[in-house]
Amino acid sequence: MDFLLNTMRKIDNDQVKEHSFGNKQSLEENLAISFINPKDFDKLNLVSSLHLKISNNQRNIIVKIEKDDNVPEGTITMPVSIWSNQLTEILNDELVYKNIVVSVEATREPILKFEEIIQKIRGIE
Amino acid sequence: MKRYPCSGCSLLCDDIIVKSDGLFIDEVIGACLKGKERFDQVSAQNRITSPMIRKNDELINTSWEEALAKTVEIIKNSSAPLLYGFSNVTCEAQRAGMDLAREINGFIDSNASICQGKILNKAKAQGINLTTITEIINKVDLIILWGANPAETIPRLLNKVLFSRGKFRMTGREIKTLVIIDPVKTASFNVMGVRDLALIIEPDKDIELIQMLKEECCSADSIPSGGVAGVDKNDLKRLLLHLTGAENGVIILGQGVIQPHADYDLMEELLDLLQLINTRQVKGRISLLLLGGHFNMAGFDHVALSSYGVSGKLQFESKKLVKSEDTIISKINKENFDCSIIVGTDPISHLPHSLSSKLAKKPLILIDNHNSATSRIADIVLPTAITGIESSGLAYRIDQVPVELKKILNPPNNIPSDEELLNQLIEKLNGGAK
Repeated sequence: MDFLLNTMRKIDNDQVKEHSFGNKQSLEENLAISFINPKDFDKLNLVSSLHLKISNNQRNIIVKIEKDDNVPEGTITMPVSIWSNQLTEILNDELVYKNIVVSVEATREPILKFEEIIQKIRGIE
Repeated sequence: MKRYPCSGCSLLCDDIIVKSDGLFIDEVIGACLKGKERFDQVSAQNRITSPMIRKNDELINTSWEEALAKTVEIIKNSSAPLLYGFSNVTCEAQRAGMDLAREINGFIDSNASICQGKILNKAKAQGINLTTITEIINKVDLIILWGANPAETIPRLLNKVLFSRGKFRMTGREIKTLVIIDPVKTASFNVMGVRDLALIIEPDKDIELIQMLKEECCSADSIPSGGVAGVDKNDLKRLLLHLTGAENGVIILGQGVIQPHADYDLMEELLDLLQLINTRQVKGRISLLLLGGHFNMAGFDHVALSSYGVSGKLQFESKKLVKSEDTIISKINKENFDCSIIVGTDPISHLPHSLSSKLAKKPLILIDNHNSATSRIADIVLPTAITGIESSGLAYRIDQVPVELKKILNPPNNIPSDEELLNQLIEKLNGGAK
């Protein structure tokens, strides 16, 4: 199912705070997360033990999912982080952090680890 | 106890009370969550207090001599160095960064160019009404948050501008109307009162709203009965009334509005609307405030303008400033660099994968005070003092007002400030002379 991904700064899911005071576990706990409208949560047949695989044309990430009434239907929000930025894009030499078309599906696969992302960025797949 | 400015975000609150004996901070009063985190960074568990160098694929602590020698070696072997970041350092450090870029014939740019700097550059073409926090406190009767969520990014901004009593008005919050235009009901909506206007717009439909406002500006008669972009007709009428009837309004812009689009330029459309309102408005005016999170994001343009006569990015060749069409994005995207010096920022986290993976391919020198995704891939990490706590200097507030940051404590291990470190690098590159 296609959604629009919006990345946004959230005070409780802040990457500077996690890198300064947290550890790998808290980093993943607070940043590898997405928020979705409860109606979409039901449409995707999600349950709390499942994760969400979010993909664009080139890459995908697997993150936790939480219901949030404040998120409009058809939209996923994620805190600004290394996870969400695996899916953000470039358009005319400018960065696109909002309204990125992604496809999503429920998955039992584990959350993408911070170290796995670092390895991918370094070209070690 | 003394009063200090806070470098937790670009609001640079100057009313923070700090109790300190010069060795430790005992108490911080009046800071928001972000401000408190900034002061807590002094003793954060992931603070970097020793230079590090990558050996056998692991970052290990090393001496300053070895770290600086290796840094100079990388820079000397580079013919196209890239310098990036500089929005979490003082203006003095920004100037030192520009001097270093000139010395090594590099390209230098700040985080502002992918944030609020974008709209400032576009505004040059047609002029822009910016405003200050004091103006907003004293005079504003309409505050519009458009794609902006200051409650979570600049936490005390609304305290200062919305819940304040202005010098030139008999009343405060009672006469200030807050309008929020956003597709997501963010935390900032929680401060809204009965006379405020919450406009939950459909995602990516801002352009429809702006075009309708431009067409209908000063006339609410022909708004489509079904509304526009998910916003109800009556709410649109109220918005028009506020825009055209406010004595002194401000639009606070966030990242939500400065996103690029393939078919149109949303920022130019918005600036056009602003001009239109201000031309037709006989009673008052609408101005802009640009939200940028890092504490000195506004400073880089001021320093570049005062030092080199241009704002934003600078490209040097033969130790002279040259014109360049490149941006930090195009430089990295085309891999038109052979090493990078990253100062006070975390591009591996905040840039898209297609850029961070290219940045990671080339030698990367990081100047910062805490761990980050960028420190995980850096070849050299050079720690610096925490500005506004362990070192002083000038910073430009969110509204372009200069604020002097002060030193409260000495940094651990006598680590240098960003400015001192950048000047040391210039000296080393020159064989000892600056």
